[in-house]
Amino acid sequence: MRCAIGLCLALCAAAALAQTRTPAETVDAFHAALRNKDTAGALSLLDRGLVVYEFGVVDPTVEAYGLRHLPFDMDVAVATQWKLESRRSGGEGGERWVLSTYRVTGKQADGTAIDQMTLETAILRRSGGLFRIVHLHWSTSDAAFQARAQGQRSQEPAR
Amino acid sequence: MNFPGTIRRVRSSLFAALFVLFSSVALAGHDNIEVDPALKRYAGQITELGMPDAKGDVYSFRAKRIRAETEFDRDELRGWRLTLLAGKRFANVFEVRSNTGDEIVVTAAKGPLNGIAVKDVFVVENIPPDASRP
Repeated sequence: MRCAIGLCLALCAAAALAQTRTPAETVDAFHAALRNKDTAGALSLLDRGLVVYEFGVVDPTVEAYGLRHLPFDMDVAVATQWKLESRRSGGEGGERWVLSTYRVTGKQADGTAIDQMTLETAILRRSGGLFRIVHLHWSTSDAAFQARAQGQRSQEPAR
Repeated sequence: MNFPGTIRRVRSSLFAALFVLFSSVALAGHDNIEVDPALKRYAGQITELGMPDAKGDVYSFRAKRIRAETEFDRDELRGWRLTLLAGKRFANVFEVRSNTGDEIVVTAAKGPLNGIAVKDVFVVENIPPDASRP
């Protein structure tokens, strides 16, 4: 009987450990969910207080990101390859950060080659025993796009 | 001076400005890359909850499409994955059983929709609900 209970506890502990991701693994799991067209899987890795900064634009809530940009990010993830070039992580306790650079390659809808660096800052918060992404900030080495985006921003009213 | 009228005009102007602002915001994303959509999908917002069944469970709701002038085609969403993007059922997945122009009914496979609320937003995607899961 004791043996059975011990085995059960060991299995439960192993299962719990398998579900516990490091902050970097959480970021990787988010990208994997996008690539696998797993909307709910991607959302489940986001904190309900998420704020996204993407190329000079703000998604102020997780709902706004899920509605407006997550679908496009999924399209891009499916159509391109993201090779992790560098990563640094830090923080302590329930607040962590993961800085990553990716080389993104592939082809656009019109056949034009994609080959650019994407820079990513992810801040994660532990809640319910799991790390979830509470902030993402992406930018790119695509100078033409950055200039275009910043030009558009300068015409927007101040916020 | 008609203050209530002025306030209404100011409020209308503010809403119009915010609409323009957020319309432009919606153009972003990894928008420097233009790729084909990975899935056919529609976003929508719940406008009315369906009637609960005898057990008190809800399997349907009325909805409007977001950023679209048209309604859904009848049963075009059958078998599609429905994911809640807000509210108590955030990130929960369901399978569409049938639909009309403004009503969606889900199967019992993923349980009832209990907990959804008017104004919750969702996305329906042309992919079976379990296709993405390992």
